[in-house]
Amino acid sequence: MSPMASLQDALGAAGRYGVRAGVRWSTSWWQVVQVGALVLVLAMSPSTYERDNRRALAHHIVVGTAPVIAWFAVLSALVSVVLIRIVIVTAASYGLGQYALEMVVRVLVLELIPLTAALFVALRVTVPSGAELSRMHARGDLARLQAHGVDPVRHELMPRVVAGIVAVALLAALSCLIALVLAYVSLYGLTLGAFAGFTRVIGQIFNPGVMLILALKTLLFALAASLIPVGALLRGPRPDITRTSAALDSLMRMFLAILLIEIGSLVGSYT
Amino acid sequence: MDTPPAATPPSPSAAPPPPPAASADATFSVRHVEAKASLLLLTLLLMVLGAVAYLAYARGAFESTQTLVLVSDDSEGVVVGMDLTFAGFPIGRVRRIELAPDGNARIVVDVPLKDAHWLRESSVFTLVRGVVGNTNIRAYSGVLTDPPLADGAVRSVLRGDTAAEIPKLLASARELLSNLTALTATDSALSGSLGNVQSATDRLKGPGGALGVLLGSEAEAKKLLATLARTNTLLERLDGLAAKADAQVFGKDGVMPHANASVQQLNALLADARASLKKADAVLDDAKTISGNAKTATADLGALRAQVEGSLRNVDALILEVNRKWPFARDTEVKLP
Repeated sequence: MSPMASLQDALGAAGRYGVRAGVRWSTSWWQVVQVGALVLVLAMSPSTYERDNRRALAHHIVVGTAPVIAWFAVLSALVSVVLIRIVIVTAASYGLGQYALEMVVRVLVLELIPLTAALFVALRVTVPSGAELSRMHARGDLARLQAHGVDPVRHELMPRVVAGIVAVALLAALSCLIALVLAYVSLYGLTLGAFAGFTRVIGQIFNPGVMLILALKTLLFALAASLIPVGALLRGPRPDITRTSAALDSLMRMFLAILLIEIGSLVGSYT
Repeated sequence: MDTPPAATPPSPSAAPPPPPAASADATFSVRHVEAKASLLLLTLLLMVLGAVAYLAYARGAFESTQTLVLVSDDSEGVVVGMDLTFAGFPIGRVRRIELAPDGNARIVVDVPLKDAHWLRESSVFTLVRGVVGNTNIRAYSGVLTDPPLADGAVRSVLRGDTAAEIPKLLASARELLSNLTALTATDSALSGSLGNVQSATDRLKGPGGALGVLLGSEAEAKKLLATLARTNTLLERLDGLAAKADAQVFGKDGVMPHANASVQQLNALLADARASLKKADAVLDDAKTISGNAKTATADLGALRAQVEGSLRNVDALILEVNRKWPFARDTEVKLP
């Protein structure tokens, strides 16, 4: 009976560990939701926008967005050109050239670009920013700020989240514009003659439901990419967390959230 | 982007540590930061508003339209937002599809007013489903001088479904092929007919030829030939008969010269009759004159008679006078008893 007893002990330990892990997992997600709610409330209250906080917000927006705009525009233009060519040539080879524009817009503008923008902003801006915040928290910088009468949530947390949201929205809008222009030029060349037909096809694709889903998806992507990296902040100072492990943890959570949002949007769009 | 770790140096031993200033230093490291942030936010706002305005324009939100209702028994393949085309150009957009109480599908189409002149009262609308699954609604206006289509007009749409036509076509083709097989079978009517044609052509080449084929046997053909020969003889005799009749009628001693002479004599007679009539006319004129004279004479006779009557009355009065004066006058008095 001793092997059975040991098996039972092992199963019990595993169960207890699983329950503990599940509780930790749920708690951490709840913390993310709390941070999100907190930031949204702060972003909407006028008292947040006093001079110092306003400058901090402006600083994070500029520092988070401006350096990546050019890179992202070039990158997204290159990827768009390649994908547009592939779609156009494939459609034409099947004799379905008239559907190429619709396919390009649906694949690029509706699906790939918001996803790419969110991931790019997460990797380049919000995850490093969140890790830095965790480090500051671990070092006790935030506590010192609070001791000096500066609200660390308004001064450090909220600006980083808002900057991430703005960065995702701006990059997504910019690359959608670039993709549409490139699609037009690839299909029709440098002429304005086909603009009416192009506009008509765009109007047919973007019905109110699709517009709503695109806007909601981009907003949710932006929230996920901005909130999850700073969600670790509320777990309290954890000296064992290095910058790398915090970044990895945030990335894993964010990928999961983005995957769920993408699945939801696909279900909404194509069912 | 990252806040440099050097920005948060360990605080000196002085009482007020500088961490708040650390973040502030990082903030101040970018010049005109608020203006740049405003520019970025403004750009984002402009792009979002521009996108919304462009999509509204693309969906025809700024166009004034008129409504056209197309009625079809099946609206499969029709989706909201699809185009109504005229000569390949989109001139309208499906706004709504609904099921009418009579079971027909009502396809409500918005037609911009600037394109509405292509649609006329006599326009025809078709709903065509292609093999790939794409559906097209097309308008055809044959007479562009007809009155324009009114707002809210209801038209039935002609439906053509390529995918649905293929099974029908296959069924028809199968039926046709089975008929063809039945026709070309060895015991079929067509085969028998062809055999008969073969024997007929064989007989055509035979001694009786086409007559033999038509009349059934060679003997009948010979009879017909004999009949023809006799008919020919009869016609020759008829020819001679006709020549004789001609001589009798139109010859020198024929009927016609005599008739001609009679007609001439009749003409002379008629002339005489005309002269006699003229004479009778003159006699009548004379009689008319005589009767006029007699009328005048009768009038004179009236006056003469009046005179005679007056004379007689005078004579009568004279006699009465004489009688009165005469001694042998009669007693004229009436004596009463």
